[in-house]
Amino acid sequence: MRTFRLLLASGILLIHTFSWPFTGLCYDLSKEDAALLTQIEKDTFQYFPRMSDKLTGLTKDTSRPGSPASIAATGFSLAAIAIGASHQWIPADWAEETLRKTMKTLLTKAQHERGFFYHFLDTKSGRRVWQSEASSIDTALLVAGALVAGQYYPGTDIERMANSLYERVDWKWMMNGTDLICMGWKPETGFLPYYWDTYNEQLILQALAVGSPTHSAGKVAWDTWLRLEDEYQGYNVVYSHSGSLFTYQFPHAFIDFKDLDDAGINYFDNSVQATLANKKYSMSARAEHKAYTENSWGLSASVGPGGYKAYGSKPGEGAHDGTIAPYAAASSIIFTPEESVPALRFFYENYKANLYGHFGFKDAFNLDKRWWADEYLGIDQGITLLMLENFLNDGVIWKKFMPLPAIKRWINLCELRKEE
Amino acid sequence: MTNDNRRRHFFINKPLQLRYMVYLTLPLLTITAVIMLALYIGIWGSMLDAFNDERLRTDLLTASRLTEYEQARQPVDGEKNKTLLFFKQAEKLSQRQREVFKEILDNSNEKIIPKFILLMVFIAWGSVYISHKVAGPIYRFDKTLDEVKKGNLRVRIHLRKEDEGQSLAKTFNETLSGLDQTFSKIKNIIRENEADAPKMTSRLKEELSKIKTSADI
Repeated sequence: MRTFRLLLASGILLIHTFSWPFTGLCYDLSKEDAALLTQIEKDTFQYFPRMSDKLTGLTKDTSRPGSPASIAATGFSLAAIAIGASHQWIPADWAEETLRKTMKTLLTKAQHERGFFYHFLDTKSGRRVWQSEASSIDTALLVAGALVAGQYYPGTDIERMANSLYERVDWKWMMNGTDLICMGWKPETGFLPYYWDTYNEQLILQALAVGSPTHSAGKVAWDTWLRLEDEYQGYNVVYSHSGSLFTYQFPHAFIDFKDLDDAGINYFDNSVQATLANKKYSMSARAEHKAYTENSWGLSASVGPGGYKAYGSKPGEGAHDGTIAPYAAASSIIFTPEESVPALRFFYENYKANLYGHFGFKDAFNLDKRWWADEYLGIDQGITLLMLENFLNDGVIWKKFMPLPAIKRWINLCELRKEE
Repeated sequence: MTNDNRRRHFFINKPLQLRYMVYLTLPLLTITAVIMLALYIGIWGSMLDAFNDERLRTDLLTASRLTEYEQARQPVDGEKNKTLLFFKQAEKLSQRQREVFKEILDNSNEKIIPKFILLMVFIAWGSVYISHKVAGPIYRFDKTLDEVKKGNLRVRIHLRKEDEGQSLAKTFNETLSGLDQTFSKIKNIIRENEADAPKMTSRLKEELSKIKTSADI
């Protein structure tokens, strides 16, 4: 009996030892898959040091020439640089210097209104360009990225600068006297006539706005938006208007929703359902579009043959034209590893020549029109990187983000803690 | 009626006047050149760069992309959307071009203003330097003449090497020296012939006859 126990224990230890480096959040990865995912993550990461300005640290919206800096891409870049340094993909001192430089730019140079950064900035000067709006969601993504970076360097000026960026944002002002958070503000016309009034990527904005220590939006902001629910072929989803996969992914890069309950809604499970519905939706149209196959799925906002569109599935608007965005499957890896890992392998093995470059997967492709994107989008690179990092490294971003006092405040104020 | 004081020649002191022409012309030419260059490089150079084919193409694509972003985030219903899209792209491009113009002008101002300030400092220093070359000698002449007025004929004008009026000072010093010698000679005649009044008178007359004064008319 004793010998049996010893053998059993040794066996478990042996299995654990061999599988440990290749375990993605509750999903056993083969060595080959782990190597492929790590390579994709590492290549995707390269977008950020390469597409950020050397002096200001601001990150380009896309890899296209002439692209302005995007504040959301810059937020992902801050997190990415910290992640890159943690894996020693870049020198530690270079990473720290870059983070300091970028945060200093954001605090002193980048144009903002009451802490809300303009959506697009000049990469060199940090000045507002294209008459863009001071954007609430893009500022939230920037702040989230900055806070993650700060958590990689606790007690340093990097963490302090990240906190300053967050504390400066006047979330209450962005509500414009209503119970909802406005999408943005322009000096020429004032507040935009659009508010975050339904489910979508705004959950990260809500968490930061409600949890703010300085200008909280209050619980009312969280309570007021609509949770519209619908069913598509057996999948019940609190859905976003477009049905784009990214709307179910962005907040989850930072917030671990697995143990949170919003009056019966678990947003992690919701994103699992939404991803499966998204795949099912494209499967149902596989006869019309060549790219839609068992391992080739992912309808999400991306560039396409006719420009950038909010592709998506039902429930929701469900606009599609045969364009697949590989980042969508990659960024659902924490929800549906059984579906996402084979999809990434399929894309890599079958379309590598046209679809894979220096910065990982390009944005999208459409086989009906023999069209392949020739560019990378900063936010799509960012979500891919953070989701892979969470998946491959035991939810490391969540572990950094969830203990933040602001997040705890949001959870407590909105009573989101799941009852045992 | 003729004006007897009218100057018949523009060049009274040719080297002096030519020197001052150079002194004035050089800064003026420098200022003009700097402003012209700054305007050309700052405005026209940026303009040519901002509106070359490549930049226009990327700006057009960016206008289109940013409009698509807005459409994706704030969807309008299908048909209306298609009609509006073109106008929104055109509006965005036009907004961008206004921004580019403003950026170019702001950048040009940022470049021109420090240069202009530097030039003003240079001109201010130059004008002090040049006027000092004239004002210094005038001051010296004034002080020396004051001394002469008080009866001191031993004073001389000493100008610095780079001062204007060197030849005038030389002539002035020679004149003073001549007067000094004449009065010294008169004083010596008086001193040497104190006991012999007729001889003193005769020698004084001889000496004073060499000097033309108003009393001789």
